[in-house]
Amino acid sequence: MSRSRAARLGWNTLGLLLFAVMVFPVFWMVSTAFKTNDKIYSFNPTWFPGNPTLNHFSAAIHRPYFWTDVKNSAIVVALTVAIALALSFFAAVSLAKYRFTGRKLFIVLMIGIQMLPPAGLIIPLYVVLAKYNQVNKLSGVILVYLTFALPFCVWTLRGFLLGIPKDLEEAAMVDGSTRLGAFVRILLPLVAPGLVATSVFAFITSWNEYIFASTLLHDGRTQTITVWLSYLYGGNRFVDWGAIMAASTLIAIPVVIFFLLVQRRIAFGLTAGAVK
Amino acid sequence: MLVAILGYPIYYLVRLSFQKYDLFALLQHHGTYVGLANFRSILHDPVFWHTLLRTVVFTAANVGLTIVLGTLVALLLVRLATWVRLLVTAGLVLVWAMPPVVAVQVWQWMTNSENGVLNYILTKLHFGDFFQHNWYETTLSQYTMVTSLIVWGAIPFVAITVYAALSQVPHELVEAAEIDGARAWRVFKDVTLPVLMPVLLILTSLSIIWDFGAFTQPYLLIGPGHQTSDNYLMSTYLYIEGYTKTEFGTGAAISILMLAIVAALSVVYVRRMLRVGEQT
Repeated sequence: MSRSRAARLGWNTLGLLLFAVMVFPVFWMVSTAFKTNDKIYSFNPTWFPGNPTLNHFSAAIHRPYFWTDVKNSAIVVALTVAIALALSFFAAVSLAKYRFTGRKLFIVLMIGIQMLPPAGLIIPLYVVLAKYNQVNKLSGVILVYLTFALPFCVWTLRGFLLGIPKDLEEAAMVDGSTRLGAFVRILLPLVAPGLVATSVFAFITSWNEYIFASTLLHDGRTQTITVWLSYLYGGNRFVDWGAIMAASTLIAIPVVIFFLLVQRRIAFGLTAGAVK
Repeated sequence: MLVAILGYPIYYLVRLSFQKYDLFALLQHHGTYVGLANFRSILHDPVFWHTLLRTVVFTAANVGLTIVLGTLVALLLVRLATWVRLLVTAGLVLVWAMPPVVAVQVWQWMTNSENGVLNYILTKLHFGDFFQHNWYETTLSQYTMVTSLIVWGAIPFVAITVYAALSQVPHELVEAAEIDGARAWRVFKDVTLPVLMPVLLILTSLSIIWDFGAFTQPYLLIGPGHQTSDNYLMSTYLYIEGYTKTEFGTGAAISILMLAIVAALSVVYVRRMLRVGEQT
């Protein structure tokens, strides 16, 4: 008994140690953001801010283009989510409910796109978008994000639709509901969690995206917030770590909130079928 | 329509790879056909082969560390008291949620040579004198940092997925093996591992695909100005040669070679998903 208790204590200590190591970078980011400059640049770092200051946050949001680029990110994210949701819902319905020719090709292409490293598609997308004058415009970026978000959204929604028994929809129609009525009243509420999960996924990927935003958007007025953040560092000899960490914290917050909401669904979507 | 959106860039990529397509061509909207010249010059360039080798080693190191450490964390989770487990899981989700660009900034801050906390901690723990040690001096050291960043960010997904799969391991079997006097390693190898195998296979192929194409972390952490033929990965190689130097034809040819390698690597994953997709 005492041996197993000692083992338990050992595992728990190891667990707490692991927690400390994993969370440390996040803690260090937030802690630095609130520290005064003399503490940040000291050779003997202090772990906690002591007298917290909000100066770095106000410095960060008053940097040129912060609000413009937050607005750009918001526009890109909102439109990507809305369009991805609408398109992927209908694609998922057709994929889950009907067998059509080219269905297999469709699935392969969908999974294939998800697998392609984005870096490999920079060149053709840049050239194609340049051809249609979509470089340095948010619309071009939205189009690219859709290309990458759609496959995952379709795939996840399809999983949700499969979970709905066919009889349910048929029963509604027998009861005198129209096809549209059955759709709105029966199908829609049941896939609502799936719609939430996919929209959060589209939100997070487009908010976090860096490669395409940095290649397709050339100046401060059109950039997204991740590109803005990547330019904060560098240039000067003096690096304003306080402001960078404050900005980093601000940019991470929306993602963390949404991530906590749907973390489970995303894990299952990517490994569907293997876990069960 | 979806097929068209997804297919067109790939068609265009192939077309570009047979063309000389520089900045001038971009403004004119058409390049000149050069046949296989782009591929020939890349395949004859030692930089390509060095980059490929470096990328393979980099991928192997990252994937190996991610899968092994992630699985160990999952195995640890099972053995924890509930409140510790909830705490650790919350921490993992928090790490998972960090946007890569933000994580890069934090790494830059923690590992900078002047007053980075990493040097301070290493010195305090008596690993040697790391005062003002520059981690970005040699290629190996640069990639140690990039790897630590990527693995740190990738562990949560692996750990949480493997932990979910561990609940499928039959309890009776583990107990029976333990009663029979099997050692912990034997129990893991003969009882737990076979159950985890399908999940680990998928996680490994996903990680290979992701790490092979990693761009944001190596590009930003090492720094856009410090990408040279001495530290290229496939993704940064094609970015600099194709995009920064505006030789889109060359870049397209590198992309195709890279995508072909990734496609070969992802066969396992795609086949598995296809089987799932056959259910209606």
